[in-house]
Amino acid sequence: MGNLLTATGLKSYYRTVQGEEIKAVDDVSLEVREGEVLGIAGESGCGKSTLASVLSFTVLPPLYILGGEVRADGNNILVMDRETLRREIKGKYISIVPQGAMNSLNPTMRIKNFVIDVLEEHFSEISKEEALQRARERFEALSLPSRVLDAYPHQLSGGMKQRTVTVISTLLNPNVLIADEPTSALDVSSQKIVIKLLVELLRRKIIKSVVFITHELPLLRHFADRIAIMYAGKIVEIGPMEDIIFNPFHPYSRLLTSSVLVPEPGMKQKKIEAIPGVPPNLKNPPSGCRFHPRCPSYMEGLCNIEIPPLIEVKEDHRVSCFLYGGKNG
Amino acid sequence: MKNPFVRYLFQKLLWYILAFFIAVSLNFFLPRLIPGNPVAVIVNQMATGGTPSEALEKLYATYMREFGLDKPLYVQYFNYLRNILRWDLGTSFMLYPGKVNGLIGRALPWTIALQIPAILSGWIIGNLLGAYSAYKGGRFDSVAFTLSLVFSNIPYYCLAIVFLYLLAVKFAIFPVGGGYSFGTVPTLSWRFIVDAIHHYILPYCSMVLVAIGGQAIGMREMSIYELTSDYVNYARNLGIRDEKIIRYVFRNAMLPQITGLAISFGTMMGGALVTESVFSYPGVGSLLFTAIRQTDYPLIQGCTLIITIAVLVANFLVEIAYGFIDPRIRAVQLGEK
Amino acid sequence: MKDIFILLFRSKRFIVGFVLFLAVLSFAIIGPMLNPKNPFQMVGGLFTPPSDKFILGTDNLGRDVFTQLMYGTRTSLLIGCTAGVIATSIGVTIGSIAGYKGGIVEEILMGITNVFITIPSIVVLILLSIAIKTRSAAVMGLVIGVTSWPWTARAVRAQTASLKTREHIDIARITGFSSIEMIVLEILPYMFSYIFMAFILQFSGGILNEATLSMLGLGPYQTVSLGVMLHWSLLWEAVRTGAWWAFIPPVICLSMTTFSLMSMNSSMDEVFNPRLRRS
Repeated sequence: MGNLLTATGLKSYYRTVQGEEIKAVDDVSLEVREGEVLGIAGESGCGKSTLASVLSFTVLPPLYILGGEVRADGNNILVMDRETLRREIKGKYISIVPQGAMNSLNPTMRIKNFVIDVLEEHFSEISKEEALQRARERFEALSLPSRVLDAYPHQLSGGMKQRTVTVISTLLNPNVLIADEPTSALDVSSQKIVIKLLVELLRRKIIKSVVFITHELPLLRHFADRIAIMYAGKIVEIGPMEDIIFNPFHPYSRLLTSSVLVPEPGMKQKKIEAIPGVPPNLKNPPSGCRFHPRCPSYMEGLCNIEIPPLIEVKEDHRVSCFLYGGKNG
Repeated sequence: MKNPFVRYLFQKLLWYILAFFIAVSLNFFLPRLIPGNPVAVIVNQMATGGTPSEALEKLYATYMREFGLDKPLYVQYFNYLRNILRWDLGTSFMLYPGKVNGLIGRALPWTIALQIPAILSGWIIGNLLGAYSAYKGGRFDSVAFTLSLVFSNIPYYCLAIVFLYLLAVKFAIFPVGGGYSFGTVPTLSWRFIVDAIHHYILPYCSMVLVAIGGQAIGMREMSIYELTSDYVNYARNLGIRDEKIIRYVFRNAMLPQITGLAISFGTMMGGALVTESVFSYPGVGSLLFTAIRQTDYPLIQGCTLIITIAVLVANFLVEIAYGFIDPRIRAVQLGEK
Repeated sequence: MKDIFILLFRSKRFIVGFVLFLAVLSFAIIGPMLNPKNPFQMVGGLFTPPSDKFILGTDNLGRDVFTQLMYGTRTSLLIGCTAGVIATSIGVTIGSIAGYKGGIVEEILMGITNVFITIPSIVVLILLSIAIKTRSAAVMGLVIGVTSWPWTARAVRAQTASLKTREHIDIARITGFSSIEMIVLEILPYMFSYIFMAFILQFSGGILNEATLSMLGLGPYQTVSLGVMLHWSLLWEAVRTGAWWAFIPPVICLSMTTFSLMSMNSSMDEVFNPRLRRS
């Protein structure tokens, strides 16, 4: 199976009014494969939401893209003209469930009118009745009450709003669905329902892949195929879900997995450790490996000078750490 | 009162009646802070003007009766309320024995014909300009914003004076004032209408430009807020074209501007009244100007009363309209679920 | 704090407003000092056009317009400033008490505020002004101040109510501060920029209200202000006789003052509300 989305060497910085740069995404490469759920995890402020913005073209000042490319279907979408992007890619090839899904719906518009707008935008022939009919069928197929369509956003509960947004995002059967912390504002049972909905969308082949961004690593345990760990604007480790959660290589991933409670057999004996130190300031990130000031296995004269490359240490499992090679020669 | 909308309407109505009552009371009590017997003061003023003493005595008697100054204050107050409800605003000093309601009745249509179109069109154009400027950004935005800032901060009457001087006195393109040419009689003939429009343009323009500026600034700010909101980003992410997004933003930014419209009625009033007197436009403003110059208290009070009523009615209508238009407001106010 | 000033002075609009305001201010303060003449003294013929002797000509009674302009600007600024201080103080007091106390106190205070927002303030101003026979500049400032506080009160209440939910407020409350102490020590300092902006708005509103009242003929007694100058121009038909020097200078002074204040206000708004900033 092929890659639906390939990002190479992405750089995306914020520029503050004072003229400083915040290096939120710095030289990030990853690919999204057909049929998979790719989880992206990291502490808040590690750049994972910025990555989501770049992948879903929500790059607005003060955020700028400084380099790299994102290929979809062979085309670099970062250089595509606005109109083609709007017509061919947005909502159709790549769609997003935004972080602030609570406020993602126009407060003064009935859901159905927005849905009709979305469908009309991509199918010029469609009539309002057809569009509404199609939306109603989709809502019912995914076991959402179709009366939601007649409501205003403020009349829906948080969980229902999140599910509604998810269904609207996937109305056009996009290949890649980027879900940016879709569950972080919800209670546990609503979280489960939203995740079930995503799995159901994949199973029915409505969508072909999900990029699930979260700060709650354990959440990914239940449905991710691969996981990428981000730290300070960079991917430090990416590999199969089981490997990352149970046998991580990177010292940061290890601390991250042990600092959260994963209720699995054999985990009981493990001590829960907090990660010492604070996340780095992305205005002025540490030299070399960005994790070196907090790293328990820090090597003086190496980690603080050179940037460790992301190298394959196992099949389909890459790590950016000198403990596993990558030194010159 | 089962219907929540009727209840909402009723609550608003009660509120406005209370505001009206307070305004009427201020209208009664504040001028009574003037020390001494106002009637004696006024009649004395007229005496120095050379009015024969016989007429003065008659005047004195009329006003003493009308004000009921010989009675206790609360009786005067209730008389005043009763007279207002009967739409009897008393007798003018300067145009004795002309009745205040008659004078106001003749001036009011001119004021309404000038103010309402000026406020409404200024509001509409200002909102369009503000929204477009927020969307467009760049050079257009900074030019439009600066111009709006300049115009909105020129008081109406300053612009009126400049217009009057430049376009009517210096270059006689427009008449130097009044509502229609001297010597013509208001009739529904073409000639009169053309003449009235000719007199209308300058006062209208001097008010509308300032109104556009003020509204454009408010709308621009609201639109910028809306343009950076989550729902706009989301709609963009789903490939919705800009034209549609602008419509969403315009509608949502517009809603608070409706409250702005209500405010305009109140805040524009002062400036608009003076603008009328700059152009000697035959409306309530010019009437008030003359009344103040002649210390014609009944007429001043009549004018302030009619201004209050106009502003309260306008606010009430706007507030009701707002409840109809915005589903969020309606939900809160009507308890809709 | 230093950062804020740097940001403010990076805004072109703020600099324009600031410089214009300084120009008006120094004209009004330094002018009468260097040139202590009586603005009411008749020094020349009626409506003499500008000349070497009278830079801005004379008015309908042969009084020097330039001298009037200096004293008039000073009076207008004085009235505007007095009105601004009074309106802001009343508004902040009522708004912060209502916002902090909540409950019935808030209901009552905001009820009063809303009534006075609904009733057009120009009406109250006119009624108060005709009742007060001897209106000095200070009295006019006072009258304008006590009629224009409601907007500030409403805005400050909203700010206070949102500040109230912050953590440091809870901590301070545990230490047993009284309501007054809480408002003065823990709430108002966080609204300083906001209050200052409200003051600028009220200042400019006060100047405009003075001009409106004066033009209607309810201006300060025995004093010249910008509005009074315009009133004379209207009354003695300076516009229709083409004596531009009698009314164009006060028009410019008035517009420049309000424009400079509002430019400063709107650029401060952008600095304090980063969401309005556009890069």
